[in-house]
Amino acid sequence: MSPVTHAPGWEWFYIGLYFFFGGVSAGAYFIGSLAEYFGGGRHRGVSRTAFFIAFPTLLVTPPLLIGDLGRPLRFWHLLFDARSGFPYVNLSSPMSVGSWALVLYGAMAFLSFMDNFVAEGKLDFAPFAGVYSRIPRKVYAAVGSVAGFFVAGYTGVLLNVTARPLWAHTDPLVGALFVASAGSTGAAAIYLAMKWRRIHPGPELEAFERFDRIVKILEIALAIAIVIAAGKYAAALYRGLYAVMFWVGAILLGTLVPLVSNWYGHRPGLHVRSEPAADMMAFLVLLGGLLLRISLVQAGQL
Amino acid sequence: MPKGMFVDATICIGCKACQVACKQWNVLPGEPADFRTDPAEKIPVAVNFTGDSYDNTADLTATNWRRVRFIEQFPENRAGGRWLISSDSCKHCNDAGCLNACPTGAIVRTDLGNVVVRQDVCIGCKYCLPSCPFGVVAFSHQEGTARKCTLCDERIHNGLGTACAKACPTGSIAYGEVAELKKKADARLARLKSLGHGKANIYGYKEAGGLNVFYLFDDAPSVYGQPEKPEVPQGRLVVSSAVTVAGAVAVGVAALVAFRERGQPGSEEEGVGK
Repeated sequence: MSPVTHAPGWEWFYIGLYFFFGGVSAGAYFIGSLAEYFGGGRHRGVSRTAFFIAFPTLLVTPPLLIGDLGRPLRFWHLLFDARSGFPYVNLSSPMSVGSWALVLYGAMAFLSFMDNFVAEGKLDFAPFAGVYSRIPRKVYAAVGSVAGFFVAGYTGVLLNVTARPLWAHTDPLVGALFVASAGSTGAAAIYLAMKWRRIHPGPELEAFERFDRIVKILEIALAIAIVIAAGKYAAALYRGLYAVMFWVGAILLGTLVPLVSNWYGHRPGLHVRSEPAADMMAFLVLLGGLLLRISLVQAGQL
Repeated sequence: MPKGMFVDATICIGCKACQVACKQWNVLPGEPADFRTDPAEKIPVAVNFTGDSYDNTADLTATNWRRVRFIEQFPENRAGGRWLISSDSCKHCNDAGCLNACPTGAIVRTDLGNVVVRQDVCIGCKYCLPSCPFGVVAFSHQEGTARKCTLCDERIHNGLGTACAKACPTGSIAYGEVAELKKKADARLARLKSLGHGKANIYGYKEAGGLNVFYLFDDAPSVYGQPEKPEVPQGRLVVSSAVTVAGAVAVGVAALVAFRERGQPGSEEEGVGK
C-alpha cells in the first residue's frame, strides 16, 4: 500500500539549511536587540556583533528557498499575485505569511546592519549617515525582533500544519522548539563572531551562559515532548541516519553536552572554563541546531 | 451549484477505462519509471511499477490523476477471498488543505466547486503535497509544478461531464450536481443495506468539510486505503501558532533575565535556571 499522504520532497540542503540559517539569523538579531534595549550600553559588543551577523546569515536563505522551487523564476508569486501584480497573502498558509515576515525581517536586519557601520564611523557618507541617525535604531530593532521570532518559529508551524504523520502528531510543539533552538544557535553564533572580531566576550560570557542554560532546558523538554507526542510515528527518529542526527547530533552534542559543560563551569570552586572549551561548545550548539532541523524535516518525509 | 462525482465502489469492475480516459483527455504522459537497484535483485528495478497487483498505478501521481485501487484479499491457498475495487482521484474537498496551504494563490476553487492548480501560477514549492490529507496532489519533475485532477475543469465548464465518468461502463463513476448525487447515493446505500451489506457506508459527507467527489464503500474506508478521519491540517493553525508565540515569549524572558543589568555582581552563581 502506498502511504496515505504525500511527502513534499524538500531537499535537506535547501529547506533544512534554510530553517537553520533563518533561525540563527533571527535568534542573533533578537538577542542583539534585547542587549541593545536592556543592556544599558554594557552589552554593546553583543548587539553590534549580532547585527553584523544577522543580515549576512539571512542573505544565504533566499537562494536556498528559491532553489527548492520547481519553477524558481516564479518565486515572486509568493509575494505578488501573478495576474494582477498586487501584493498577495494567504493567511491560512504559513508559507505565504512567512514569506512576508522574511521580507520585513530582512529589511530590519539590513537597516541594523547598515546602522552598525554608521555607528562605528565606517560609513560617514554625509546624507546617508544623516538620514540614518534620525531613525531611532530601537524602532527597527523592535520590529525586527518580532519579525525575526516569526521567521524562526513559522518554519515549525509550517511543518506542524500538514497531514504528514510525524509533523501532524508533533503539533503544536515544533514551532516552539525551533524558536528555542534559534535562540541558542543565535547566541552561539554571536559568541563565535565576537571571538572572530577579537572582542573579548568576558563579561558577556556569563549572560550567554545564563541564557543558554534556560533555553537548553526548554529545548530538551520540547524535544522529549515531541518524541512522546509523535509516538509510533517517531520511528524514523529511532533508526538509521536521522536517529543519529537527532539523538547524537541535536540532543546529545547540541544540547546535553553544552548544558552539562555550562553547568559544571559554574560550580563554585571549579573555575575551569577554558576558552577553547567554550568555543567548542558554541560550535556544537550550531551543529546540533542544524542537525535538529535536517532530521525533523527529512524524517517527516520518509 | 457544486458539481462532483459519486463513485460507487460496489459496482466497479476494475476495467481502468477511467484511467485511460483521464490520461487521454488531460494529455498525461506515461508514468516515468523510477529505477533503483534492489539489493536482493542486484539489478535496477522500476520501484514505482507494481507488478504484484492489478493496481498498476500504486499511487496518485503527477501523471496518474486517476487510480483504480485493487484491494485483493486472498489467503495463501487461494480458497475463498474477495476483490474490492475502487476508482480513486482528487475529492475536491469543500475545505481543501491544498488550497488553504497554497502560498501563491495558484490553487483556486471555481464556480462549480472544483479545486484546480493553475499551472501558469504554481511555483512548485510543494507545500500542497503534505497538506492534502488524502495524498492526492503530486509534484511533476517534468513541469516543475504541482498537479492533480481538475474535475475536467474545461469539460464541465462547457456542459460536459468528466472524462472518467463518461468512459465508465458500469456507472460506478457518476458525474452531476452534488445534491442530486447524494440522493442517488443514499438510495443505493439503503438498497445495499437491505441486501445485507452491513458494512456499506458513504465516505465524504462530513470529511474535510464534505467531499464533492464522494464514495460508496462496501467496507471500512481504511480497507479501501482512505483515511478514516481525514483532517484538514489548517484547523490546527491557530493553536500551533499560539504555542509557538508562547515559546517565543519564554525565550524572550530567558534573554531578558540573562542580559538584564544586574545590580549585584557575584550573584551569577545563583543564576536563574537552576
